[in-house]
Amino acid sequence: MKKLVMLLSLVAAFALSAPAYAHFQTIYTPQSALSKTQKINIKLIFTHPWEAGHTMDIGKDQSGKIHPPIAFGVMHKGKKKDLLETLKAITFTSLSNKGRAYDVNMKLKGMGDHVFYFVPAPYYEGAEDIYIQQCTKAIYNIAGAPTDWDALVGDPLPTEIVPLDKPYSIWKGMSFRGVVTCGGKPVPDAEIEVTYMNHNIEGNNFVTKENMEIPQPDLVPIGIKADSNGEFSFTFPKAGWWGFCALGAGGDLKYNGKELSQDAVIWVQVVDIK
Amino acid sequence: MKKTLIYLFGFLAVPFFFTTYAFAHTPLCSCYDNGDGTITCEGGFSDGSSAAGVSMTVQDKDGKAVTEGRMTEDSEFTFKKPEGDYTVVFDAGPGHVVEVPGSEITE
Repeated sequence: MKKLVMLLSLVAAFALSAPAYAHFQTIYTPQSALSKTQKINIKLIFTHPWEAGHTMDIGKDQSGKIHPPIAFGVMHKGKKKDLLETLKAITFTSLSNKGRAYDVNMKLKGMGDHVFYFVPAPYYEGAEDIYIQQCTKAIYNIAGAPTDWDALVGDPLPTEIVPLDKPYSIWKGMSFRGVVTCGGKPVPDAEIEVTYMNHNIEGNNFVTKENMEIPQPDLVPIGIKADSNGEFSFTFPKAGWWGFCALGAGGDLKYNGKELSQDAVIWVQVVDIK
Repeated sequence: MKKTLIYLFGFLAVPFFFTTYAFAHTPLCSCYDNGDGTITCEGGFSDGSSAAGVSMTVQDKDGKAVTEGRMTEDSEFTFKKPEGDYTVVFDAGPGHVVEVPGSEITE
């Protein structure tokens, strides 16, 4: 009996630690602050960035069917442009597997902020028996003019993180603040996971080299919480791409009869200081 | 003592405010080639304010103005691409000038 209790508690401990897998949807491009209009490549990858681990097939349901993305677009000077049709399916290779991802080659044209947003079809996570849908944002800038970075995108994002600091203008040691929102309203006490892209992306692969040695492997992703106004802040110890994911910020939802964790994700690029 | 403090404040604070202003208000101008023989430049300021009405000059390699105009309400200025080397000058007043060399303007 005692053995059974112990076994059960082990299983429970394992199940509870499952969220530490930390899925993160990316909207990735190498440089967020650009000096002028230019061609860029953007990659949408659903992965475990800190360990360059298991990469999921974006939009795969319980039966294994892959559903196409729901929304992808960019907001510039208050106008939204639908880019869903421009996405090309690719196979992305992590350090442990391959997964369905998307990318697009496009010209990023015009001074100011370009707020990219992505809504994938919900992904079935067997390990947790839930669906995950991460509504993701990444903000790129041309020539320094601030135009849209602090604005709410709204439709088609049901939930999103609204920055209080320019996400492309952060130097190592500086902080980023944001507000977790759902339907445009702050989400108090939101639970947030923070990840770091510890392996660079080259082509459609993660490279093996680590950018940092993780000081506390049991404690990644780093867990923080928003305050009663949905606001959070994080100070960066290292340059590179950092991701924030507000878990279940979209509220208590169901999809195909399962729990749906509708998360809000934002990516921030931290620049090194020489 | 009070006087000293006031002087001290004046000496320290006045230059400080001026410096801050210059830094907090950087002029910005970025141009691209439309690929149809025209160039479009967009302007603005680092605090997000508009560059509408700002004077724009396109100079040839000798510094001679070949095109002159002003930023539109949308802070844009489109002009015919000159032959040879040229420079675009965004002039919002002293300390607020941006020069963009034609060689850096691409599609």
